[in-house]
Amino acid sequence: MASEELFPNDHTEELDLEQELNEIADKSTEETPHEQGEKENSPAAAEDKSVATKTPAEPAEHEAKLCQLPIARIRNIMKLDPDLHVASNEAVFAVAKAVELFIESLARESYTYTAQAKKKTIQKRDVDLAISAVDSLMFLDGAMNF
Amino acid sequence: MVERIEDLNLPNAVITRLIKDALPDGASVSKEARASIARAASVFAIFVTSTSTALAHKQNHKTITAKDILETLSKLDFESFIPSLSQDLEAYRKMVKDKKESKASKKDANMPSNAEDATTIKATNNESANE
Repeated sequence: MASEELFPNDHTEELDLEQELNEIADKSTEETPHEQGEKENSPAAAEDKSVATKTPAEPAEHEAKLCQLPIARIRNIMKLDPDLHVASNEAVFAVAKAVELFIESLARESYTYTAQAKKKTIQKRDVDLAISAVDSLMFLDGAMNF
Repeated sequence: MVERIEDLNLPNAVITRLIKDALPDGASVSKEARASIARAASVFAIFVTSTSTALAHKQNHKTITAKDILETLSKLDFESFIPSLSQDLEAYRKMVKDKKESKASKKDANMPSNAEDATTIKATNNESANE
């Protein structure tokens, strides 16, 4: 299917890797000024320190990192389905994450039309074009105008 | 239950961040386009849910599981989401497990002897259930 190629999704992993690398970098920059002597502690180094002390993630923080969308709200949306009896927490998390991926793919897809028009800001027109061009987005037809 | 219809909208700030993260530097999104994408996202959530409920119903399951969601996504031509989603699910399971374990160890510290055994058994049971 053409839509598979249109919706590539390897970016999340790379982002996580980047974050990790940044954290490692933060920690190493934190350690070097210590060895050089405490008088040399510049404001920047102090900043690095505060970042590093925050990074050992508390549980709540960790959860926030896993999914940016509010899980409770996703659950409410799911509950709109009258046939839904029970959804496991994992299922709700999976939907939330899928919605995140969906938003990212739709944004990227829309941006191809923005770029074609030599613009930098996505307009509603670009989103509409993306929706009508991709087969797997057919379900949105008619759901967007009310 | 949902009291106001706005309760079903996804938060704009998060939507904007997700969109910007997906785009190259310097790109941005107009208010109308963002509203469009946000609406599409809500519709997508409902669409995936109702397809999953239909699927679970067919298999005589009452509870929707993560597996149902993954199956639904591949059925709906969103296979490309599955690798990254499976990874996230793994991370989620690990987080839930860690939480349970830390809770259990806290309990252990508070009340030793018999209670300790009970909680550890529970924890291991949950572990195997998750796997």
